[in-house]
Amino acid sequence: MKKILILIPFFYILTLFQTSFLTHFNIFLEGGFLGWALNLILIAVILITVFDPNTKIGVGAAFTGGFFLDIFSENFIGFHILILVILVFFIKFILRKYVRIPIIKPA
Amino acid sequence: MKLSPGVKIGLIIVLLIAFFIVLNLTGFSKEVKNFFYLISSPIQKTFWRAGNNLSDFFEVISEIEKIKKEDEELLLKNQALLAENTRLKELKKENEVLREALEIGLEKEFKLLLSEVRGKDISQDTLLINKGSKDGILKDFPVITQQKALIGKIGEVYENFSKVILISNKESSFDAKIMGGDDDNDIQGVVKGKGNLKLFLDLVPQEKEIKESDLVVTTALGGIFPKGLLVGEIKEVLKSDIQPWQGAKIKPAFDVKELETLFVIVNF
Repeated sequence: MKKILILIPFFYILTLFQTSFLTHFNIFLEGGFLGWALNLILIAVILITVFDPNTKIGVGAAFTGGFFLDIFSENFIGFHILILVILVFFIKFILRKYVRIPIIKPA
Repeated sequence: MKLSPGVKIGLIIVLLIAFFIVLNLTGFSKEVKNFFYLISSPIQKTFWRAGNNLSDFFEVISEIEKIKKEDEELLLKNQALLAENTRLKELKKENEVLREALEIGLEKEFKLLLSEVRGKDISQDTLLINKGSKDGILKDFPVITQQKALIGKIGEVYENFSKVILISNKESSFDAKIMGGDDDNDIQGVVKGKGNLKLFLDLVPQEKEIKESDLVVTTALGGIFPKGLLVGEIKEVLKSDIQPWQGAKIKPAFDVKELETLFVIVNF
């Protein structure tokens, strides 16, 4: 819960940074990088989910990040939240079913 | 009743969708967005300015290469335009010369060929013009300016060029007269080249009176030049009682430094 509370200011600042600062650079605009705009919120949510797949922090990140993205974009509230939440569940599913991360056992 | 994790997730998503639909349909989302915009405005402004300044900086760096390329292109274009400008100036000059020649009716008296000076050898009193045998030039054709001043005659003819022997050349000698009021008062003489652009009027009878500033023109005698071409004006009369003839120094009617366009008389 504490971690999720930290995510709120983190994603808030990250969204503002993305929508107000990075919009001046072509690589973060539509068609900027291989035809895709770089989305820091999306990258952060994916990374949080991948590195901590066993807790609910991924879903919390998706919800928070998606919410702020929706606030500062033209889409209706819920658009990015749904996409990110579904993405987090999908990543978790893939990691649980098909990926085995080798753990180095202590001697 | 215990729900499986899959059903739980599905249920959460459905509930979320329902919540968002209600949120957006009631217009509450606008108020939420407005609230966030309001509190975020100072941070957004700071980020916006910083992003703007930084992108401007990077833009300048990336523009330098572009500007450099543009500069090179403009330089080339400028050179091309300068070349074209020079060509047009030359054409204009040529046009003016032809107009002047037309105004004094040169083309009615003679069949002319326009030529340009390509080289000058003052020490030898010769010029090189850009018309040769290919253009119908033959040896001994007279050469004049557009003001009808005599320059000389063709000495040597090449395929594309010709050498003009100026009337001031030491080997040049032709009949001339000093213009008088009518034909009876004309004073005949022989103009000889003295080299270094100097001319001398010789063999003028002692009893004839010549004075400075009198104009010297060609006569048809000898058939080298057509009559009436301006040779120059008397600069200094040299008269001596012990000699049978009197003479005079002549100032040529042309300024060799200014010579650029000439006419070759191909038929007179």
